[in-house]
Amino acid sequence: MAKADVVAMILAGGQGARLGVLTKKIAKPAVPFGSRYRIIDFPLSNCVNSGIENVGVLSQYQPLALNTYVGNGHPWDLDRHNCGAFILPPYQKSGKSDWYKGTANAIYQNMDFLDDCNPKYVVILSGDHIYKMNYAAMLKAHIEKGAEATIAVYEVPWEEAPRFGILNTSEGDEITEFVEKPAVPESNLASMGVYIFTWDVLRQALIEDENDETSNNDFGKNIIPRLLGQGSKLYAYRFSGYWKDVGTISSLWETNMDILDKPEDINLVDRAWRIYSRNPVKPSHYIGAEAQVIDSAMTDGCRIYGSVIHSVLSDSVIVEKGAVVKDCVLLPGVVVKAGAHLERCIVDFGTIIGENVKAGANVDGEGPYTNHKICSEGIVVFERGLEIKAGAVIPGNSMIDSDLEVSEEDNVIARTFRV
Amino acid sequence: MFTNAMGLILADNKKISLGELSGPRALSAMPFAGRYRIVDFVLSNMVNSGIKNVGILTYNKYKSLMDHLGTGSPWSLDRKNDGLHILPPYVNSEATNIAGDEEMAGIIDYLKTSRTTYVIVANSNVVLNTTFDDFIKKHEENGADISVMFNRDGTKYGNPSYIIETDESGFVKDMLFNPQKCSSNKSSLGILCLRRDLLIDLIAKQMAHGLSHFGVHSFVKMFDELKVSAYEYSGTVLRINNVKTYFDASMNLLNERIRNDLFWSGESVYTKVKDEAPTLYFENAQVSNSIVSDGCRIYGNVEESVLFRGVTIAKNTTIKNCVIMQDAHISENCHLENVILDKNAIVRPGIRLVGHRDFPVVIGKGAGI
Repeated sequence: MAKADVVAMILAGGQGARLGVLTKKIAKPAVPFGSRYRIIDFPLSNCVNSGIENVGVLSQYQPLALNTYVGNGHPWDLDRHNCGAFILPPYQKSGKSDWYKGTANAIYQNMDFLDDCNPKYVVILSGDHIYKMNYAAMLKAHIEKGAEATIAVYEVPWEEAPRFGILNTSEGDEITEFVEKPAVPESNLASMGVYIFTWDVLRQALIEDENDETSNNDFGKNIIPRLLGQGSKLYAYRFSGYWKDVGTISSLWETNMDILDKPEDINLVDRAWRIYSRNPVKPSHYIGAEAQVIDSAMTDGCRIYGSVIHSVLSDSVIVEKGAVVKDCVLLPGVVVKAGAHLERCIVDFGTIIGENVKAGANVDGEGPYTNHKICSEGIVVFERGLEIKAGAVIPGNSMIDSDLEVSEEDNVIARTFRV
Repeated sequence: MFTNAMGLILADNKKISLGELSGPRALSAMPFAGRYRIVDFVLSNMVNSGIKNVGILTYNKYKSLMDHLGTGSPWSLDRKNDGLHILPPYVNSEATNIAGDEEMAGIIDYLKTSRTTYVIVANSNVVLNTTFDDFIKKHEENGADISVMFNRDGTKYGNPSYIIETDESGFVKDMLFNPQKCSSNKSSLGILCLRRDLLIDLIAKQMAHGLSHFGVHSFVKMFDELKVSAYEYSGTVLRINNVKTYFDASMNLLNERIRNDLFWSGESVYTKVKDEAPTLYFENAQVSNSIVSDGCRIYGNVEESVLFRGVTIAKNTTIKNCVIMQDAHISENCHLENVILDKNAIVRPGIRLVGHRDFPVVIGKGAGI
């Protein structure tokens, strides 16, 4: 491998348990987003658009879909001779082998990869945010300030600050303290999970952290406090563009809706900063003679004969005549049969919604699939590869999970299939 | 699966002109069906048949074709062995004109580099989704020297048409070019199967007789000396011979059966990837019976039309029976009917353009109206 000044490492190994059934079979970064993308397209495209061509993708949880999706990196122009995209799973070693124990440990276990690249700087990214960011500009600030680590921060509303990892800073945005989810925040600068480290500083910190048996081996919890404790120079880098965490069902839904409600914010049509993705091989979409499509986004392979209102459709979705899809996010290959009525539903890969099914925020009450832990705001989530019985009625805040044990009469799943 | 054939595609056809539309590009590079070029169909058919070596023969205006094909990666033809080969005209330094026998000599050199037994030779004015496995199998079985694919379109797509007559065992006994009247409706699709070594011999013989232009039907015409078998294709075929048939073919895509035959019942049709954003439909959009590609922004009305990638249809504008190519922009308060708008064309506010179903208005690439 050739030497590179900058290497990016995308932490893509987490399960994303708060996305419920959506991450049962695939890792969160591989979850489809915004009609034609997967979540990981955003950090990958940001890397390429920032001129970073050496990208490690650390995968661990349900890696098949993610590994297949990233593949040789070709869709992002990351199939290069001396650099490109590298999938980095945990691996067996002659001594002690282990899964990735934490975000910092995942990087530690890939020390050889980084040493081979021998970079000056390492960019650490997470695979669960939707944003467009020029990491090169951040790196410039990192170099100009002579920082050993720079953390991208986003000014969040003060009332939301207790939900984030907050950075307290002094004059010149030098970081003085990192507080995870403070009850009484001293600052509203939330960490975006985007870090730039000077490699030899990070390398040393990772080794020390690994030797500390009490450590959780996590960047936020351990590495940053360790560096602050040693008096290293850490700076905050303020980012003011669009940035959304899509770690929960409600935030995933809301961020999809932003594409419709505030298309200029994320501005996906900007040809100077394209978001690349692995394209489905499907014909252009078709809107039938009696269809209605308003306030919606869709892509190749969709065939619409019913009503699609304020919804985001991934490729190859079929909406039959008389069906109504409102405020929904339909992932690739979903079929909504005639007469079905969905509101605020997120339907995963290939699931077939039977005729005259009524589901979502338009149905009040609770049922056997109600799940307030995962679902809120009336959103219903359907697992992939299900056929939902015709005429089923599913109230808002439900998660249709084939592993849930329900009585025969309550069961809305006609069959499950592999997609 | 283990197809023992290579492909040879003729990128252009000197007998076919699409007027202003074919000004900037070879016939095969003509945009079609929202996100494709015509060549994508025959190229995908070859790849889906297991063909791994395809030569594309060009003679001029091949820039847009080369941009489109690139390394052949969308068709999985970016290979270390074989793969995609664009064959521009051979020009040696002393030659003053391109149309010498260099074209023919170049094809022979290319054919000699392959090790396959058969060659599928195809024109690029037909749109169909098939594989050539059965075509090659039948060719082997009936002991023909050459097989030609036909369907029963007769002369209804206009000129150029090659009408063949066959004997009772399905061998060609006559071929008529643009006949006024004909006793057969068997119309060649311009797709041949023959042995590679035979093709090399035939080209060498044609060169020796002073022919300099490579044409699919010059081989079919040899039915007196060779056994030329006719193979009937009964699936959906759209032929593109002139502006009218291009427009008809585009409008035929709005027919569910034709769309299913071309895109959903067979193998995938591959094309160059563009990484456009998803298409956005805004609050007052009204779209019916239309094909829409990625990256469009639709504020107005679209009826029975084909929209390519990155098209904008502004508010209070109606598009009916139109083909709107990539990145065209149609401003507010316009009314377009039976119009073909080429790439990057801009229609300013308040313009009304109405063509006839048989004579669509054609607006050239990058024009401002």
